[in-house]
Amino acid sequence: MTQTLDVGEGFSQLDSSPAKGAPASTAQTSAKLGTFAITFSIAFALLYTVYERLNWPLFTYHPVLGNLDFGRQPTGVGPPMFWYGWIVLAAASAFVVAGIATIIPTRWLRRATVFCCALAVLWPAALTGLRIFIVDWATFDADFLNSPWVAAIPAFVGAAVVTYYVPARLAERVWTSWLLIVPIGGLVVLGYSLLQPWFLR
Amino acid sequence: MNIIFSIIREDTFWSILLFVHFLLAVGLLAAVTLQAVAVLMPARQMAGGFIDRSPVPAASYAALIAVVYVLQALMGAWIYIKYRTYVRIPMEQLRHFWTVGSFELKEHVVTMGLGLLPAYWYFWRQPLSAEHDGVRKWVTVFLALSVWYAFLVGHVANDFRGVGS
Repeated sequence: MTQTLDVGEGFSQLDSSPAKGAPASTAQTSAKLGTFAITFSIAFALLYTVYERLNWPLFTYHPVLGNLDFGRQPTGVGPPMFWYGWIVLAAASAFVVAGIATIIPTRWLRRATVFCCALAVLWPAALTGLRIFIVDWATFDADFLNSPWVAAIPAFVGAAVVTYYVPARLAERVWTSWLLIVPIGGLVVLGYSLLQPWFLR
Repeated sequence: MNIIFSIIREDTFWSILLFVHFLLAVGLLAAVTLQAVAVLMPARQMAGGFIDRSPVPAASYAALIAVVYVLQALMGAWIYIKYRTYVRIPMEQLRHFWTVGSFELKEHVVTMGLGLLPAYWYFWRQPLSAEHDGVRKWVTVFLALSVWYAFLVGHVANDFRGVGS
């Protein structure tokens, strides 16, 4: 991991030509391709984790009936399958995000990546914090706080603060490191969610 | 599907599919493991200007790994339909919760690997860039670990109810 972080430094030159002497347009295409590929991979891992946790599949497949229904559908005849729906939705969303990444300035992209990753950590953390507050600390009826949209407020503010205070050079250096941090972090979150239903049962 | 099942028995069809999935898995496992070993133990410069070459040209089969990984994921996604109804339900009834949980995690691990493929493919494009050495190495290692995990868990699930079980 340390090495990855160190190497991330080199990505400030991602916009430069991969082969010396290559025409400028080829270099530009290669840089855009790199931006697209890296952004897609980061966004896919992040969005897949989010969609799985929120259970937002694009469609539900019912294997017993062989039916495909739009969105999340409840159990009908046999078990519903959401996995395909999460993957397709994450891939489609990541494709759009990666497409946008190729047209915005590099500096903004690095900042936006930091913002999104910070938000992905802070939003569930804020919601958990609010729920703990409601149960253990609140001396009034604080049920209205038990909402992801209320938790979004401190999460967005926190992510904005983090993004503001992270130096541009650091955002540049760690950009490719998100390629490993996000999937590993996602797997930790997803693995943790499996503890109660399966591993500690 | 009905056309296929009119030619061969349903059980035979799924067994063939599972066996092909296994064969592809072995091939993918071999390729990605060799590549991961090659990036973890790169060629060394020896005295006298000779280079102690890595036994396999790791870059040459990166595209193949990406293609086979996608094929494997598609095969797995297809077989998953049968797993969900024919394997997982009895697994739960017999309280094999660790096996079910490990398989659930396998879905996520494979998906994360799938998402990394565009970046993996980009980093292995020729000519290899020295500045991407570190990230190329760790993305490759991540893919290798994901394939190993998927292979082992898939094998355990197959032992519960699959080919030859």
